[in-house]
Amino acid sequence: MIPWLLSLSLAFAADPAEEAQRVELERARAQVADQVHLAVFDLIDELVYRLSQEPVFSSPTPVVLAGVSVPVGLGTGLQALMENHLAGVMLANPETNLRLVHCPQCTAVVVRSSAKGTVVSRGVDDPALLAELGVEAGRHALFIDVEAEGAFLVLRARLTELSAELPIVWSHTLSTSTATPALLRDPTALKSAEEARAEYLNVLNGQGAVVIPARVNVRTYALPEGDNAGTAPPPFIWLQTGVELSPTVARRWTSSMMLGYALIPQAYQGLMAQARISRLVTGQARSLTHPDLYLFGGLSLSTVWGPGTASFRNNTLTLDEILTDTNLDEPRATFGAVHVGAELRLGNRVGFGFFLETLPSFTSSRNFGRYATLGPIEAHSLGAEVAFCF
Amino acid sequence: MFGLLPLTFALPFVMPQPGSWRDRDDAHNYTCTFMTLEQAQLARPGAVRPRGPRGDLYERDVVLCQERMLPLGLRLDADEAILSTLDARVSELAGAARSRRPDLEGATWLVEVYYPSPAVSAKIGFATKNALMAEGLGVSDRTPTLAAGDVQVITRMPPSEAYPTACRRYTDNGSLGAADVLLAVVLLDRQETALHAGLCAAGSWTWLR
Repeated sequence: MIPWLLSLSLAFAADPAEEAQRVELERARAQVADQVHLAVFDLIDELVYRLSQEPVFSSPTPVVLAGVSVPVGLGTGLQALMENHLAGVMLANPETNLRLVHCPQCTAVVVRSSAKGTVVSRGVDDPALLAELGVEAGRHALFIDVEAEGAFLVLRARLTELSAELPIVWSHTLSTSTATPALLRDPTALKSAEEARAEYLNVLNGQGAVVIPARVNVRTYALPEGDNAGTAPPPFIWLQTGVELSPTVARRWTSSMMLGYALIPQAYQGLMAQARISRLVTGQARSLTHPDLYLFGGLSLSTVWGPGTASFRNNTLTLDEILTDTNLDEPRATFGAVHVGAELRLGNRVGFGFFLETLPSFTSSRNFGRYATLGPIEAHSLGAEVAFCF
Repeated sequence: MFGLLPLTFALPFVMPQPGSWRDRDDAHNYTCTFMTLEQAQLARPGAVRPRGPRGDLYERDVVLCQERMLPLGLRLDADEAILSTLDARVSELAGAARSRRPDLEGATWLVEVYYPSPAVSAKIGFATKNALMAEGLGVSDRTPTLAAGDVQVITRMPPSEAYPTACRRYTDNGSLGAADVLLAVVLLDRQETALHAGLCAAGSWTWLR
């Protein structure tokens, strides 16, 4: 790669240069600009972060973005990216007290002729002329320069007061190296490098491939309707725990296997085994700063017993059955269920979900109504849950 | 003993020096720094195993190699030589200027750069102003000017006369006041990569280096 670049540059230096070679060299430059632009953004983020922590001015001050220059050898495309990013980050962080203002007279090349001679300069270099052009006093000019120095990318910034003496009121120099990954900070919540690293380590330490969730969920069963309608089972409260696995830390897909237990003394007890697969729908990877929404589907196998579980049968309960169940054999039912639902996860620590569940073995039961019908599938049960992940 | 075998075979792949697996041009795109274990832990937290509480079985040092930000060949060699060490160069110049003339600490410092490429010249000027600010000096973005006639005469002089003459004219025409000092950064010969510097204060020119 590099010898190829070198040969291209030598070819470029030769006179006349082949047009095709020049195009290839420009392509190589664009490729390098692509590679360094994240590092440039990182330096700009760091600069604005420092300005927001230690503002130069105590009150909002109009500032003209007078100059942004890129490393020698790279094109103006990177310059435009830098200007846009800088303006975006500064607007998102008004606590810097630097209020960007538009001043075409400041950045334009102006010509001034007087008895002393003719001076060609940029507006920011001739404050007296700016005053004549009606530019209000008290403005400052912000200059940004980025240069590649060996393995380092160095950003220099300075603020110059647009008065007759053009004093530099503040300057700063930052650098990053090729071996330093960009922090990719959120412009609205800038962090220091130390804070970002601590956050990154927290993510790595606290959010591995395996998470142990503990869930509390409540299932209600739809009341049956019509003649010969039976009695719906009572609401069931389940405590569940198990493991939740994800193939990557992005947690785009997760699967969980849970065991559950339900107990209401004198009413029912139950055991449940459940498997679920979830898919993140709010992005490609889970967010560190915003809630994540998952859609999920799964299967469960439950066995319940106790007086309150008599309705888990297909026929309508009779008075005899109720008396028999109470005095002699405790009713017991084992059944499978299929569920679909949605869950909102906060920081992958707390989740709130709801789901609809169908019980295929009770499709013809008179003891179950339906909350919804999705094609041939009837949702017999509606549930809500809260999950805590460890 | 046996641990050295894989190390011996792995080194040619890992180390950036030219050899069987890396050609000279490729190796030139790395800059390497020799540092102690403690310095490496600061520079690359988590990448270097810390020294054990009872010390290590053998002495360890670190050579930190990093790829150049811009591969060689994307800009002229002369510019590359200046720019790749710009920060060190201007810091040295600013330090030298301040230590040579401590009496000028309260003055307003102006910077001029004489380099063939305007883009590189602007870079040197920017870096020099920041370096002077870092030294705690008062710096201005103002540029001293010469009349067209002065320029015509001075550009025909050899450097040894041109800079002192320009300095006198800056003072005579008032663009360099009594409280101003001009630090000029100069490339005297296009064949060299050393930057020279001179100070102009009160109409008197002094070469710093």
